[in-house]
Amino acid sequence: MAVSTVDTAVRTGRLMRALIYALLIFFAVYYLLPLFVMLVNSVKPLDEIREGNMLALPREFTIQPWLTAWSSAQVGVQATGLAPYFINSILIVVPAVFISTVLGALNGYVLTKWQFRGANLIFGLMLMACFIPFQIVLIPMAQILGDLGIAGTRYGLILVHVVYGLGFTTLFFRNYYAAFPTELVKAAQIDGAGFFRIFRRILLPSSGPIVVVTVIWQFTNVWNDFLFGVSFADFSSMPMTVALNNLVSSSTGVREYNVHFAGAVLAALPTLVVYIVSGRYFVRGLMAGAVKG
Amino acid sequence: MSFLEINRLHKRYGAVEVLKDINISLEEGGFLVLVGPSGCGKSTLLSTIAGLETITEGEIRIAGRRVNELHPSKRDIAMVFQSYALYPTMTVAQNIAFGMESRGVPKPEREEAVARVSEMLQINHLLGRKPSQLSGGQRQRVAMGRALVRDPQVFLFDEPLSNLDAKLRVDMRTEIKRLHQRVGTTIVYVTHDQIEAMTLATRIAVLRDGVLQQVGTPAEIYNDPVNVFVADFMGSPAMNLVPARINGGADMPMITLGRDAEDALSLPASGCEWLKAHDGREVLFGIRPEALTDAEGADRTADHVVEGECTVDVVEPAGSDTFVVTRLGGREVIARMRSDAVVSVGQRMPFAFNMDKAVFFDPQSEQRLS
Ligand SMILES: Nc1ncnc2c1ncn2[C@@H]1O[C@H](COP(=O)(O)OP(=O)(O)OP(=O)(O)O)[C@@H](O)[C@H]1O
Ligand SMILES: [Mg+2]
Repeated sequence: MAVSTVDTAVRTGRLMRALIYALLIFFAVYYLLPLFVMLVNSVKPLDEIREGNMLALPREFTIQPWLTAWSSAQVGVQATGLAPYFINSILIVVPAVFISTVLGALNGYVLTKWQFRGANLIFGLMLMACFIPFQIVLIPMAQILGDLGIAGTRYGLILVHVVYGLGFTTLFFRNYYAAFPTELVKAAQIDGAGFFRIFRRILLPSSGPIVVVTVIWQFTNVWNDFLFGVSFADFSSMPMTVALNNLVSSSTGVREYNVHFAGAVLAALPTLVVYIVSGRYFVRGLMAGAVKG
Repeated sequence: MSFLEINRLHKRYGAVEVLKDINISLEEGGFLVLVGPSGCGKSTLLSTIAGLETITEGEIRIAGRRVNELHPSKRDIAMVFQSYALYPTMTVAQNIAFGMESRGVPKPEREEAVARVSEMLQINHLLGRKPSQLSGGQRQRVAMGRALVRDPQVFLFDEPLSNLDAKLRVDMRTEIKRLHQRVGTTIVYVTHDQIEAMTLATRIAVLRDGVLQQVGTPAEIYNDPVNVFVADFMGSPAMNLVPARINGGADMPMITLGRDAEDALSLPASGCEWLKAHDGREVLFGIRPEALTDAEGADRTADHVVEGECTVDVVEPAGSDTFVVTRLGGREVIARMRSDAVVSVGQRMPFAFNMDKAVFFDPQSEQRLS
């Protein structure tokens, strides 16, 4: 890999290289600009923002907007800041991601290594779950949540996200396990290992890349979800995205843009962290799937 | 009573029948080799013995016990896969101990067993490594270790040597043979390498398109093939199969082999007087290259050797022997001569046919005539 890069680099002319770099830098700046605007303005006093130059660096540095956004801003009717809703989101996302990933892995395992009559049909039906638009399921889902008595609770949201994520997580794991040698499963069967032991000891330890892909995918989707949150949550179970919307739209009197910026960065932070920490594995996992599957 | 019995076994995948009425029995401590061309059902048959595939009809018995309904882990068998199927995330020691771990064997006992087996296979120094850090031959040993540690009633091997290079394959072949002599466990072994089959087996079963062609000792399969397929499949270079005609004669039937340019070659069917019954018929005359030699190289212990003049077409010295090609019945016929036999291309010389080893087939049904 490294060798071939050097090779092509030598062959391309200097001018060409400069051009490529210029283009890359241009796009990097282009994509980073919104983040820059958000960060810069979240640490300025409100007066500075009012002057109108969004790109200017702060003359007076303050973290007050962050503190306000976190703990004392008006969200809806109460001045609680975003903190409780951040916690809500965590309490929804972590179980939802965990459960949907585990179930997806088990589904993939069964669909590839314990083939039964109609397995492909069932997989096809599960795949369709990936293509159903959110809006269609809103009303029946509300009905079901009501019947189960978990409407307006975090459990309700966890259920919705698990159900919705299952199509994708199953797809990921099925394709990954399809390339996993079936002989290993057979050998383990002869060795006397049962269904779960084979899964836990043979398949799961080799599933690192696809687990990372699935977790990132699910984490991002569930954390960023707005529609389900706004439809099925009440004030006590509202996730971060909905709270942020309320923060931005409900301020009485002056619009505190710096607080809004700080709140938005707070809302984006967890997904950002997840990407930075495991982005490398994400790409690697996708590549592994592409080569093998 | 035999140790492993396969009775009237059928295996279907949907409408496709991949194994048709298989009957095999093997004595305790025997070494059964399943051979046949690719796709003939060898692996499937092995998998049904292991219990990894269910059977559609018939019965499998191990040590007198019917095992059809038993789970693979309950059949008291161990299997070595073609790909070795080593668990990639476990160390060699864990790989070998995994079966015992699943069966809840206590740790000290497991360690003792791993030590014993790794000693035997000389892989002690590899116990801490992952399979990806091993060479092909070492992986092969670990796979055998995993099977050995179970001390099963039957070992099943599915082309265990086919992923190794030629030299290592020969070494491991000897090692497997030695292992069998040492532990004496019954073995069923799949290969499509007929040399492996000949050297290892106590019994060979030849399969073709899911139909069992012949079961027998290596000598039976080699010397007394029941049909053209078996004759052609076993042996390298393959048996010469030449279209011929039988002429009754007074008391000695003659075998007439057509030739392209020259007059036909007529050989007295000495030792094969029963061929009189087939007077005037077309047959396939089968003779192995080592039964067709120069006159001086003919087997002196043979009762019936006849000579015939043939024209040398090609000469292929191979060190220990010289292979000489001539044309008979419109086909190339290979003779195996002594390396110091004086042979030159285009020369007409006497070839010695060892009629003790000759076999005859019906050209239509391809079955053996006798
Ligand atoms: N799951 C299956 N469904 C349908 N047909 C199958 C299945 N598995 C195997 N077969 C067919 O059964 C036949 C025998 O396969 P098998 O793997 O036993 O061949 P083999 O003799 O081991 O060949 P090779 O030497 O190539 O390994 C083949 O024609 C194969 O296509
Ligand atoms: Mg096979």
